[in-house]
Amino acid sequence: MGDDEKELTRRDAIKLGAAATAAVSLGVGHLEAQAQAGGFLTQGEFAILDELSEMIIPTDVHSAGAKAAKVAAFIDSQLAEAWDEKDRSEWRAGLAVVERLSQQMHGATFMKSSPEQRLALLTRMAQNEAKPQKPEERFFKELKSRVVYAYYTSEIGIKQEMEYKGNTYQGDYAGYD
Amino acid sequence: MFIRLKQAAAPEVDLRTTYDAVVVGSGAAGGMAAHVLTSHGMNVLMLEAGKKLDINSELKSMEWPYDHPRRGQMAPSNHALSFNEYTIRQPPYAVGSRYKHVYSYVQGWGGSDYSKNIVVDEKDHPYSGTKYAWVRARLLGGKTNIWGRLALRLSDYDFKAKTHDGYGEDWPISYADIAPYYDKVDLYLGISGVKENLPHLPDSLFQRPNKLTAAEVTLRSSLRKMDRVLTPYRAGVTTDGLKHNKYRSKCFGRGACGRRAGGCDIHAAFDSPTGLIYPALDTGHLTLRTNATAREVLVDPKTGKARGVAFVDTETGRSYEALATVVVVAASTLESARLLLLSKSTTHPNGIGNSSGHVGHNFCEHVMGPGVTGLVKDRIGQARTLDDGRPGGFYVPRFRNLKEKNRNFLRGYGFEGSAGTTIFPEHAMETRGFGADFKKSVRDRAGAYISMGGFGEVLPRFENHIDLDPKLKDRWGIPTLRFHYKFGDNEKKMCEDMANAAQEMFEAAGFEILDVSRTMLTEGWSIHELGTARMGSNPKTSVLNQFQQSHDVKNLFVVDGSSHVSASCQNPTWTIMALAWRSCDYLASEFKKGNL
Repeated sequence: MGDDEKELTRRDAIKLGAAATAAVSLGVGHLEAQAQAGGFLTQGEFAILDELSEMIIPTDVHSAGAKAAKVAAFIDSQLAEAWDEKDRSEWRAGLAVVERLSQQMHGATFMKSSPEQRLALLTRMAQNEAKPQKPEERFFKELKSRVVYAYYTSEIGIKQEMEYKGNTYQGDYAGYD
Repeated sequence: MFIRLKQAAAPEVDLRTTYDAVVVGSGAAGGMAAHVLTSHGMNVLMLEAGKKLDINSELKSMEWPYDHPRRGQMAPSNHALSFNEYTIRQPPYAVGSRYKHVYSYVQGWGGSDYSKNIVVDEKDHPYSGTKYAWVRARLLGGKTNIWGRLALRLSDYDFKAKTHDGYGEDWPISYADIAPYYDKVDLYLGISGVKENLPHLPDSLFQRPNKLTAAEVTLRSSLRKMDRVLTPYRAGVTTDGLKHNKYRSKCFGRGACGRRAGGCDIHAAFDSPTGLIYPALDTGHLTLRTNATAREVLVDPKTGKARGVAFVDTETGRSYEALATVVVVAASTLESARLLLLSKSTTHPNGIGNSSGHVGHNFCEHVMGPGVTGLVKDRIGQARTLDDGRPGGFYVPRFRNLKEKNRNFLRGYGFEGSAGTTIFPEHAMETRGFGADFKKSVRDRAGAYISMGGFGEVLPRFENHIDLDPKLKDRWGIPTLRFHYKFGDNEKKMCEDMANAAQEMFEAAGFEILDVSRTMLTEGWSIHELGTARMGSNPKTSVLNQFQQSHDVKNLFVVDGSSHVSASCQNPTWTIMALAWRSCDYLASEFKKGNL
């Protein structure tokens, strides 16, 4: 029951015009920096994920990014209660690949590398997004899909970034015809 | 608040009394039967296999994703079957599953935690045979609690389809027979839409339509040049309100209506409980028994007539008998056929009402899968609008095999689609890259996508059928269904044309084609199963007469989609209700004359 299957279902829903609101994820409301409360990742792993999530969806002039939206905490809580042990072990392995790649490319841990070095690393992970082959490429796909999901279902993602205007009294539907 | 939901206290079921009618099922058909029969003063007992849920606290339609512990998703111990699983495996699908609960594919969409108590657990409800994505909802109101709301009429292109193209059978009614009942359904339940004056998609008595988004208007203008129509989603939703119904609010376009499997907790969208059953309870003539799974229509051996329904209490497992002068089966197309087949007796050895051998046969539905997604370039970077505060987007009615004849396949298809912003920007999942550019691209392109998917008529064929599995039983020990059902050549050719036509229409409108889907989804995917106890004037080749009355047993009626002679390509719910209304008027009149 891999992610491929889940994704196919999701895509089917869009293609069929189902206006799929892939609402999902885990809402861990109050997790602060200390990840382990109710989570799975170690503090070190969590810190890497937190940084990577912000690199994927950063704060910009328009709105706050993944860190502010507590994306890492959400993903961590999802992992903590995942039904398949494989989900957890693959994530642990994926974050280890990030560490190894950082050592290999820059001779430094991810957290100790410079912003430029981190960017070079993530760029390399993302280079085959359409057809990921290497372990770091496959992990990027998984990482990004979870970050995107968590961010755009967060309050910051919905209200600040996407300026969603619904789910409240409208009076009348404003269309174009 | 906008609505009052207090209902009359329902009378307790009395199993010593003989009710005027017992209705099996509480969805669109059963709800309508209860409404019409009680309005004629008949005392009705309704049996529903599922629970009576506090639906508003299930649906929580206005809950924000981030206010839910899993952002709307069900617990990870639960599993929704995927297209891949339906494709590579055979039913029963939940056998050997390591998940606690296994659901049909609809639980793979967002918001599944809100429908986990609504759709059935495949572990309790197995079936066998050919692959089939069977979606079932067991609760008061059945699938109407989560339906897609597209409310269309059929026309004589459907009722007289054999006359038109020579295939299959005509219905024993014509549009003129059912038109007054479509009007009644429109007025009693509310429907929104725009008149188009199409002979193949008759207009309803519409309330205020929902408006189209900018890209949908572009597509409509382009289609006009091809002599095709795009009309706002004809939704079984009250947009102007219903003065006679205190349980339903009018639609106020708040958004997030796209959450699937969704529901509408202000009940602007029709559902059987608030639209039909609660008002019927208010007459004092309706008794409701939930958690009651019908297992057999009981027969009086002397007369051969139905005398009631045997049911199992789903909580205790105990068996009971409910007695009635008339039995009305409305358990859904497949469950109704199952119940008839289960009701074997000396008088009716092949199952009640099945002297023709047609029960379970001529099974048909809609095929879906082919569709198109496009990018609307002039919508990129536009100011944000709210586009999902409406029950649906648009509908493109059938255009094949009306005036001209397509040489490759019979019948036709229509498209459902939408364009515009949604609460979750689904395109973010497909947008490449990362960082500020990625984020801006997702932002700029919100609302710049349009997509539509087809629903095609599957031809009824005798060999496409269901029967009872000789061994497999459900959780309550009741024999389950076995499928012998496959799409045929006509469906395959139609789907090729559907995909090509979809692409052609988007190209003509100037949309950049992002994806053309040519895959036929698993049989069952449309949740529009029909035809397993068809009507007809010949008792040898049909199960029911034009009033959905058994040819064999005059006090037995089957008033749901199983009675449909062909599937049309237009969604069936409105026709199910119009037919049930017509038949129950007839039933009540025959009952009063003492003819049943």
